[in-house]
Amino acid sequence: MLKIQEIRELIKLIDQSSINEFEYEQEGAKITMKKGVEEQPEVQQTPQAVTQAPVQAEVPQQNPQTVEEKPEPKSEDEKPGKEMDESLHKIESPMVGTFYASPSPDEDSYVKTGDKVSNDSIVCIIEAMKLFNEIEAEVNGEIVEILAENGQLVEYGQPLFLVKKQ
Amino acid sequence: MATTIREKLISLLSDAGGYKSGQKLSEILGCSRTAVWKHIEELRKEGYVVEAVQKKGYRIITRPNNLLPGEIKHQLNTEKLGQEIHYEESVSSTQEIAHRHALNNAPEGTIVIADEQTSGRGRLGRSWHSPKGSGVWMSVILRPNIPPQKAPQLTLLAAVSVVQGVQQVTGEDAQIKWPNDILIDGKKVVGILTELQAEADRVNSVIIGIGINVNTAAFPDEISNIATSLKIASGTEIERAHLVRSILEKMEKLYTLYLEHGFSPIKLLWEGSAASLGKRIRVRTIAGELYGKAQGITEEGVLLVEDDLGTVHRVYSADIELTQKS
Repeated sequence: MLKIQEIRELIKLIDQSSINEFEYEQEGAKITMKKGVEEQPEVQQTPQAVTQAPVQAEVPQQNPQTVEEKPEPKSEDEKPGKEMDESLHKIESPMVGTFYASPSPDEDSYVKTGDKVSNDSIVCIIEAMKLFNEIEAEVNGEIVEILAENGQLVEYGQPLFLVKKQ
Repeated sequence: MATTIREKLISLLSDAGGYKSGQKLSEILGCSRTAVWKHIEELRKEGYVVEAVQKKGYRIITRPNNLLPGEIKHQLNTEKLGQEIHYEESVSSTQEIAHRHALNNAPEGTIVIADEQTSGRGRLGRSWHSPKGSGVWMSVILRPNIPPQKAPQLTLLAAVSVVQGVQQVTGEDAQIKWPNDILIDGKKVVGILTELQAEADRVNSVIIGIGINVNTAAFPDEISNIATSLKIASGTEIERAHLVRSILEKMEKLYTLYLEHGFSPIKLLWEGSAASLGKRIRVRTIAGELYGKAQGITEEGVLLVEDDLGTVHRVYSADIELTQKS
C-alpha cells in the first residue's frame, strides 16, 4: 500500500499534469483520483453534520421557553409576555462558527444589554476557519438580551440577540 | 481598468525584441516624444534601470523589486484577479482599504496591495509584522454566488493557491497548518485572514487578506523562532511581483474549479499539502484547550480532532500547535 506521503506526491503530480483521471491498484488496494469531480466517497461524513443541523435548528423554536426559564432577576423584571416576545427581532447567526462579543479579547463588547443599535451597528463577530463575519443589527432598536456567550460555537440560524425594534 | 501609458511602456521596454526608439514608443503610446522621455525618467526614479543606446532606443535591463501595478500586470495571465490593482506605498491595513473598495462596488478580482502596513492584523486583534519593501501584503476581493455559510471554504482555497504560487516561484514545498497558515521548515511564512461582507443569505464580498514574508532578512526576537521568510528558506531574493502574479493565477484557476465543482477538489489539494493530518496537535480556543490527533477535515473544511478518549471534536476556530514532529 502507498504511504500517505506518496499519495500526496501523486496528488501534486496529477494536479500539475493534464491527466484527468488516475487509477492505481496494488495488492487489493485501489486508489482512484479524478480532477474536478463533485462527489467523493468521503462525502459519507457529511450526513452527520447534516443531521446535527436540524437538531440545532430546533433551538430557535424552543427559545421563548428558554427566555422565560432564565432565573436571572433582571429578565424576571423584564420578562416579556408571549405577544411581546414575538415582536422582538432576533439577530441570527448566518453560519456555523465561534461567537465573539468583542473585536479582540482585551476590548469591550460591541454591545451590551440595554444598548441602542441601528441598522449597521456591528453586534458581534462569527468566525469559522479564520473567516471573520461582522454581524450587523439590521434593525433599529435596543438590545434586550444576548443569547450567546463569548467563545461559544453557534449554529446556522441560531438566535444571538433579541432586539426591541423602534 | 484601462492599461495606463506607464504599464504599456513597461511592457514595451521589457519585450524580448530589444530596443524601442523614442519615435516608435511615441507612435504606439499616442503621446509626444517629450512625454515618453518624462515617463522613462519616472521609471528610473522608481528603480528601473533603463538603458538608452543611440540610434537603437531604450530598453529595461533591471527591474526594481516593487509591487507597482505595472510590474504586477506585466505578463499577468488572468481574466479577473489582479486586473484592477490599488497600490499603496504605506497603509494601516490592506483589509481596511479593500473593505471600502468592496462597498464601492469594486469588481471581483480587485486587489489592494501595499509596500508597508503600519497596523497589519492577525487573528483576535493580534498584529502582523509587515515592514516596508520586504513582503507581500495584499487583499483580494471575491464575489462568489454562494451562501455565507460556505464562505469559510475559500480560506482553505486561498492557502492552496499560495502554496502553489510559492512552489512555482521559489521551488520550496510549503505546508498548510489548519486552516490556512503556511509553514516552511515548521515556521510561519504566510498568514491569511478573511473577512466577509454578507447579508443573511447572500455574500456581497469575501475579502482575503494575505501576508507573506518574502525578503525579510530577520525578525524581531519575540517571533524569530516561529517566523521565517521565503528568502531565509530558499537562500535567494525573490521578485515580489512575480510571486503575486503566480499566486493570482493559481487562485483564479482554483476559484473557477471551486465555483464549477464545489469544495471536493480543493479539499484534496489542501490535504496534499497539510502539515497536521494524522499528527498529535494542541488546539487552543477562546473556550479552552484540547489535545488529540488531527483526523482530517470535513467537506466544509472543519477540522476533526480525536481526543484520548476517542471522542471526535469538530473544530471551527482555534490556534493549532503541532506537538509531534514529522
